[in-house]
Amino acid sequence: MAIVTDSQRSVTRSEVHQAITRQNKHIPTIALGVALLVAVSFTLLTLFALLARIITQAIPALTEKGSGFLTDTIGSEASKVGIWPGLFGSFGIGLGVLVIAVPLGVGAAIYLEEYAKKNAMTRFIIVNIRNLAGVPAVIYGVLGLIIFVGWLKPVTNGGTVIAAALTLAILVLPVVIITSMEAIRAVPLGLRDAGYGIGASRWEVTRDHVIPYAMPGILTGTVLALARALGEAAPLIMIGAITGLLPETSLSGKFTAIPMLIYSWSGRPDSGDGGVGWSNAAAAAGLVLLVLVLAFNVVGILLRNHFEAKRVGT
Amino acid sequence: MKLKQWSLLAALTVTLPLAACGGDDGASSTSDAPATSDAPVSTDAPSTGEGGSVFVTGSSTVEPISIKVGELAGTAEGGNLKVTVEGPGTGDGFKKFCAGDGDIADASRKIKDEEATLCADGGVEYIELAVGIDGLTVATSPKNTAVECLDKAALYALIGPESEGFSSWADANAIAGELGSAFATLPDAPLSIFGPGEESGTYDSFVEFAIKSIATDRATDVVTRADYTASPNDNVIVDGIESADTSLGWVGYAYYKAEQARMKAIAIADKDGNCVAPTDATIADGSYPFSRTLYIYVNKAKAVENPAVAAYVDLYLSAQGIEQVSAAGYIQLEAATQQLSLDAWTARG
Repeated sequence: MAIVTDSQRSVTRSEVHQAITRQNKHIPTIALGVALLVAVSFTLLTLFALLARIITQAIPALTEKGSGFLTDTIGSEASKVGIWPGLFGSFGIGLGVLVIAVPLGVGAAIYLEEYAKKNAMTRFIIVNIRNLAGVPAVIYGVLGLIIFVGWLKPVTNGGTVIAAALTLAILVLPVVIITSMEAIRAVPLGLRDAGYGIGASRWEVTRDHVIPYAMPGILTGTVLALARALGEAAPLIMIGAITGLLPETSLSGKFTAIPMLIYSWSGRPDSGDGGVGWSNAAAAAGLVLLVLVLAFNVVGILLRNHFEAKRVGT
Repeated sequence: MKLKQWSLLAALTVTLPLAACGGDDGASSTSDAPATSDAPVSTDAPSTGEGGSVFVTGSSTVEPISIKVGELAGTAEGGNLKVTVEGPGTGDGFKKFCAGDGDIADASRKIKDEEATLCADGGVEYIELAVGIDGLTVATSPKNTAVECLDKAALYALIGPESEGFSSWADANAIAGELGSAFATLPDAPLSIFGPGEESGTYDSFVEFAIKSIATDRATDVVTRADYTASPNDNVIVDGIESADTSLGWVGYAYYKAEQARMKAIAIADKDGNCVAPTDATIADGSYPFSRTLYIYVNKAKAVENPAVAAYVDLYLSAQGIEQVSAAGYIQLEAATQQLSLDAWTARG
């Protein structure tokens, strides 16, 4: 049936040639290009508008308070509040998530990729972890309220930074596991085989070759997870973050976090006399949170570059 | 090998700040030196002693007063109390309070029987202290002689979520009649509404008093209509109510009292259909429907064992503390009622 003659072949060839050379004038191609450009510009514009609004709104509060905005405590007057308890809480939560979620997540990823047998059970576990990554944050808040605030009260002392860090660590654990697994899977098989070839044990290969090679990917996942943990407010509402008055900050006492303050302050009425209002304070708190997330990200990126440089060097 | 160094570095950077913070905590929480707990209650600001911590939970309506008194306790002369305040709501507050978590529960209503049982089960004895009044006034122009009194159903019909688009008072008669209102014969006159915006506590109070129960029954949104003149500035609201002949609006009672020459208060029908006008007397005795007394509930045992709790409540009931009630936008109790709270507190034994 499918007999192709020479003349037909040359026609096809010229059509293909035309299609290749003509593609820049092809209407659908141009349309697609424009559509993609619109998508990019829209995204960037929205981001810039958001950023510009936060910054212009934040300036009155920051100029009024200066560095006092970082060191003063929360209270009842928009022009006098500071963000110290929130900063302390968010920083504590960030560190807690790093200490708890990263070792657990990377450990689980190494086990699933390097040690576990590739059977139905492992696949079932992996599918479940992927699903857990999509569970809404407030559900983790309920979990945190029951387990870390309720059952584990002797350890966490109720609704504290420790309970919040544990809850958010559990929240981001699936993300850490999945990104770490992807990174470990991307390590070339030859690297492992070379290690085994010279008689290294599985642990030695994992420690000296797989983890260092996968480290940039693992760190990217960690940075993403951390940014998510720092931005969450819903689980903290469940755990009981304070937004009223909080003169003491400690790991084992009542706590608050910047997203909670932003949420609470945004809902309070501005006095309307042109002074520093709650919307200004909320915007300034948002700016501090952005800088905090950015700082954590920069550390993550520096670490990643370090490991990438090392990988190229070997 | 390099990895080990990194993990060591990471471990160090993580544990150092933690250790430092832990140290701070230890230092501040051990300074629970005895304060002047049993100092006689006077109208002067009582000394808040040598420090110590108080935890206040409960109503988000009362929260602003507790915050202001807490700030005072932390900054006033000789004051260094560490007062932590949260406002998850009256019900949630009692749940915590009765489980022994929290020294004081703020409440925008009296404790319910089942909550009292909860407290008894939890072994928590408490003292109930009235601290202020949340009240609002529904008002119209002094020139409006057609409307003297309204009930909840009529207000729901006029300002509730189903009234969107009504431009005459008479438009509301159908819904008011359906709800069995005694005031379903509203005049055919232009309806212009002025009130605070959604961000205001007075808006919340109005929704709570006039709209919530009916909207819940009728499965409509628990909000006001969106098409009214909303302003965060009380002066703008009063100007609006005064300027339109058949206006309708609401402001906090404290504000109405200051500006009553420019507005006419509309009496509100209570459950038995009696029209009650907002006055100091009707608000103080609770007969005016759109007002509620605000309370704090103090854990008796904690007030004895923690001098900071006693010092905080002393301050709450002092002249300086009572000023915070108006500063937070609420109505101060009458002198006699204040004295009742003070007596109950002094007699706690």
